[in-house]
Amino acid sequence: MTNSTILANPVQTPEVAPATIAVRPRRILSRESFGDLTFRRAAFGAGIITVAIMLAVGLFLSLRAANALGTVGWAFLAIQEWSPETNTFGVAAILFGTVTIALIALVVSVPLSIGTALLLAEVVQGRLRALLVSLVDLMAAVPSIVFGLWGVYYLQGAIIPAAKWISIWFGWLPFFAVTDAEGRPFTEASAFTSSAFIAGIVVGLMVVPTQTSIMREAFARAPIGEREGAFALGATRWGMITSVVLPFGKGGMIGGTMLGLGRALGETIAVYMIISPIFTINWQVLKTGTNSVSALIALRYGEASEFGLSALMAAGLVLFALTLVINFTASTIVAKSRSGAESDD
Amino acid sequence: MTTELTELLITDPDADQPQTNCPEAGDRATGPRRDVRGFTAAQRFDLIGGGAAAMALATLLFGWFAPLSGALGWVVVAFAAFLGLYVLLVSMEADLQEVKDRLATVLFASAGVLLFGSLVFIVVYTLTRGAEALVNLNFFTQTMEFSGPLDPLTNGGIGHAIVGTLIQISIALAIAVPLGIGTAVFLNEVGGRFARFVRTVSDAMTALPSIVAGLFVYAALIQGLTHERSGLAAGIAITVMMLPIIIRSADVVLRLVPANLREASYGLGSSRWRTVWHVVLPTARSGLVTSVILGTARGIGETSPVLLTSGITAAMNTNPFGGPMISLPLQVFDFVRSPEPNMVARGFGAAAVLLVLVLTLFLIARALGGRAPGDLSPRQRRATLAASRRDEQRFAKRAATVPTLEGSPHAA
Amino acid sequence: MRPKTIIRAAVMASLTLVLAAPMASTAARAETYFPITGTGSTWSQNALDQWRSNVAKNYAMTINYTGAGSTSGRRDFIDGTVDYAISEIPFQAKPEDGSAPEKPNRGYAYMPIVAGGTSFMYNLKINGKRVTNLRLSGDTITKIFTGAISNWNDAAIKADNPALAMPDKRIVPVIRSDGSGTSAQFTLWMSKQYPSLWKKGMTSQFPSFGNSKAQKGSDGVAGYVSQSYGEGAITYVEYSYAKKAGFPVAKVLNKSGYYVEPTASSVAVAMMKAEINDDKSSANYLTQILDGVYNSADKRAYPLSSYSYMIVPTEVAGIFTTNKGNTLGAFARYVLCEGQQQADTLGYSPLPMNLVLAGSEQIKKIPGAGNKGVDTTSCNNPTFKAGDSPSKNQLALTAPYPAACDKKGTSQCSTGTGGANQDTPVTGGGTGGDATNSGGTADTGTTTGTGGSTDTGTGTGTVTDENGNVLSASGTSAGGAVASAFTLPDPGMGTSQWLMVAAALLLVASVVVPPLVSQRLKAGESNGN
Repeated sequence: MTNSTILANPVQTPEVAPATIAVRPRRILSRESFGDLTFRRAAFGAGIITVAIMLAVGLFLSLRAANALGTVGWAFLAIQEWSPETNTFGVAAILFGTVTIALIALVVSVPLSIGTALLLAEVVQGRLRALLVSLVDLMAAVPSIVFGLWGVYYLQGAIIPAAKWISIWFGWLPFFAVTDAEGRPFTEASAFTSSAFIAGIVVGLMVVPTQTSIMREAFARAPIGEREGAFALGATRWGMITSVVLPFGKGGMIGGTMLGLGRALGETIAVYMIISPIFTINWQVLKTGTNSVSALIALRYGEASEFGLSALMAAGLVLFALTLVINFTASTIVAKSRSGAESDD
Repeated sequence: MTTELTELLITDPDADQPQTNCPEAGDRATGPRRDVRGFTAAQRFDLIGGGAAAMALATLLFGWFAPLSGALGWVVVAFAAFLGLYVLLVSMEADLQEVKDRLATVLFASAGVLLFGSLVFIVVYTLTRGAEALVNLNFFTQTMEFSGPLDPLTNGGIGHAIVGTLIQISIALAIAVPLGIGTAVFLNEVGGRFARFVRTVSDAMTALPSIVAGLFVYAALIQGLTHERSGLAAGIAITVMMLPIIIRSADVVLRLVPANLREASYGLGSSRWRTVWHVVLPTARSGLVTSVILGTARGIGETSPVLLTSGITAAMNTNPFGGPMISLPLQVFDFVRSPEPNMVARGFGAAAVLLVLVLTLFLIARALGGRAPGDLSPRQRRATLAASRRDEQRFAKRAATVPTLEGSPHAA
Repeated sequence: MRPKTIIRAAVMASLTLVLAAPMASTAARAETYFPITGTGSTWSQNALDQWRSNVAKNYAMTINYTGAGSTSGRRDFIDGTVDYAISEIPFQAKPEDGSAPEKPNRGYAYMPIVAGGTSFMYNLKINGKRVTNLRLSGDTITKIFTGAISNWNDAAIKADNPALAMPDKRIVPVIRSDGSGTSAQFTLWMSKQYPSLWKKGMTSQFPSFGNSKAQKGSDGVAGYVSQSYGEGAITYVEYSYAKKAGFPVAKVLNKSGYYVEPTASSVAVAMMKAEINDDKSSANYLTQILDGVYNSADKRAYPLSSYSYMIVPTEVAGIFTTNKGNTLGAFARYVLCEGQQQADTLGYSPLPMNLVLAGSEQIKKIPGAGNKGVDTTSCNNPTFKAGDSPSKNQLALTAPYPAACDKKGTSQCSTGTGGANQDTPVTGGGTGGDATNSGGTADTGTTTGTGGSTDTGTGTGTVTDENGNVLSASGTSAGGAVASAFTLPDPGMGTSQWLMVAAALLLVASVVVPPLVSQRLKAGESNGN
């Protein structure tokens, strides 16, 4: 930095120059060597190829999707059916299902990750902390199919009584009720399988490690001065957390939550294994039947005609747009919170 | 991904932060030192007593008194009772603030136990259910070509899927590593307006759902060009998914290389290319390897891109250019579609192999990473020291033989 | 190691892997047969899997097959991403749901591979005992799969099963979520036989309705039904899946008033009435017209019988070469002859001679198959012997007639069906009414205590019945109480429940109150002092 400012203002020493000699600033001639040129071009090339690949993906998707979107127009967001063969298809129910699953995932993951992040940042110490922190990171790498297997073979059977219990005692809340078309409540076990609730729990556990690690990082950045100040004023640890750590880590909490949300929205295989796909909006989250954009693509790509594939790409594009907005918002919030924490230090 | 990486690179953040200095106590009497973290014996008793009482209460309620049943219900009731009783116990000798503090601590610990418990349970569940298949050596060496769904576990295996995974990830790495690290170098060392554009685009692409990456390759490559599902298509789908991840984390790593190292290199007159090759990349090496390995772990474990592109086969196919080539996650998915218990056991076995593979990769990344650029291990430090000594001796020798600087190559 | 060395080693390693791969495969290809790949029907998948593994063992052929659904198979064939496809229905030139026609660009031919019955696999228990002898008429089945009948104790089901006490349990119809030939066959049957009940025509995408549950693939629906939480579920799936899963299938009422199980012989008998499109110039040459099958007057016929086809290319295009044609031809010859031996044990029905001969003509059209069909004298197909005439079917000749108790009326056989061999004890018609009454009261929720306890009193298993898999066996009395707590939609509780709650509250109070009181007392004492 300093170097360049000096070089940029070379006329800062005019008093040395006697009138007779015309002192001109030394011209910096750095002709690029062959190696440098090659390097710069190669790096530039890598950048161009990367951008080309990514733009190709984006453009290809948009162009193919435009075909389908042009046919149904804005109704694409409102229609609750998926039949590209007969030109009636829309993502209303599918998007609803995707968002429901992601929100349930957040309900599961956010309390868990905030609690664990505070535990790791404030309560445990030393070796145990280092171990647990790496364990959290390790868990973020567990393949999603493993979560899917667990969801299908263990959780689905084990969670039915709990789901039934919730639906009986909290059935007066419309989204916890499990009723048939006439409003009669279901009690059969099979009515509680393959639901958004189960898929949400599995996806929630999948995103917890990511969220925890972001939040822990944010909490650990709370400045030591304020922490000790709070203690010195007689605060308990909980008092210190509410007055120092949480306000400082707010950005990290929001950002971590949203990154988890982004991942939950795009999750395919675990959701695909668990849900029973339907194409109407199902408000009853405990009841069997929901859908998600990525599961729809996995289900229907094989049998889709060219136009059907365009319709799937349109659905994929909508999901991509949604994730994109969430991710960018999240990274902006995280970045802001980081710089804020540092300036207060 | 970024944060995981920074976690690996930055050592405990509050370890080297400034601590407030305590002023001299002088001769004034100070009260007892307040312990804000530890546990006293009485507090321990509160914990243990609360727990025991809660369990007893829940058992009584479930067994004799109330219309309740089920293991899950027991746990929930016991936990609620524990919280209540614990608060009661604590409140007998502490004020409201302390009750809140102790309750919050217990809640954090519960969240941690629940999280680690369920995650460890998921892993252990997979490993135990897979153990049935894993104990047979043929599971790793044979393929499913000669085995039907009804064959016992001593017949047939996932050798083809393991090989398929390795080939596909090699293809993906062969494309994504040079391209990803090259782009990251471009973003950091060349810069400019175009670099900012590249960074935005690659950041945006991290939001691309992996199934959409698969759909792109399926529609563009398989339907448009090769007309065949193949290992190559799967490798490319994984590349499209992995590339933004690698770029992003490599970018973060390269940004952490101290600027003074670069300036020192330029100051010694080396070219940009030499600076990158001899200073920047070696300094960031462990971080780069970590970022690549983490990207690999993610790429290996992801099912959705290969679901659309690789095709399913029961036979060994080592040719990525022709014919379907299955990989581990897809093989798991295919196995567990069958209702046959043996196929499901094979599915869990394959999942366990995949899990172990990913976790091993992660541990390798952890062993290599975890160091900031320039932070050397003792062995590396000894090696660097030895190199410096050799250089010193070399200089001394040279100074002895060539008395003046005229002969130095730099003068030419 | 220096950084460069590591990077170099890594690059070398990955390059070696990539480069070594094609070489290794050339070595493998020194065999006579090139690997071929196909996708399609899950209806026929069990047969294909068995054949695939047999030819791999005996002839070192690599046949890849993915059961992705018939619609996927036909789509993949049109896209040219597979060498062959398997489907229950031909390419739809005029799909009934109004979608675009399916038209492959390359030449193709249909080759029948196996016959089978679309069966109705179910999971039902009465008083904790699995029902294995359910009987259903076509009319009832259609109503179940349109949502018109939604409870197992519906009068129509009771009429079909006079000797079973049908429980008050909701029916969970499990349907296919993907485009499927099984759905197409089933909907075609309903639209032909019960046009007033089923108005959607033949469709590969089964429309979801009311209580239905959608699962992917035949293994998906069969898997769902066989789960513990799948109790009360019924699905349409090829007979072999029920056999494999050890679950019963419903006997379906045929035109002559008998309830018949889709065994190999009853399918073979029914398929005698199938009209095969003999017009060699037709696009649907060799495909089936099933009206005769649905209405077969033979007492032994299973109405929902059909064939499945292999769609084979008749010209070299895209990824299909004559080398692959050679493999495909050899595999097809195996399927038509030797492969049919296993059809019965797998849960299918072997192809009769006329179709084997016609199929053999199709094999000759495959480029690279050496213009070689099958030799009927050495074919080893169980439906004909050397020298038989094409119109005869050995299997149909020897097929057993249904027992008298399978006739529509007041009696009902107790023998098991499908993969469930155990008998179901049957009683007179009177018990059915009783069970429904007690169930009915439980449903209304007014006198729950009694309703629940009558149900649970019969056996430990029943507790699980009413509640899915909620309970562990913890004594009958506790079980009864739980049953009412869980089955009751609104928490209107009886006296005993209130007493239990009171007891629980007292227990909690007895734990909590003493310390609070003692604390208060202590505080009072210290204040007083």
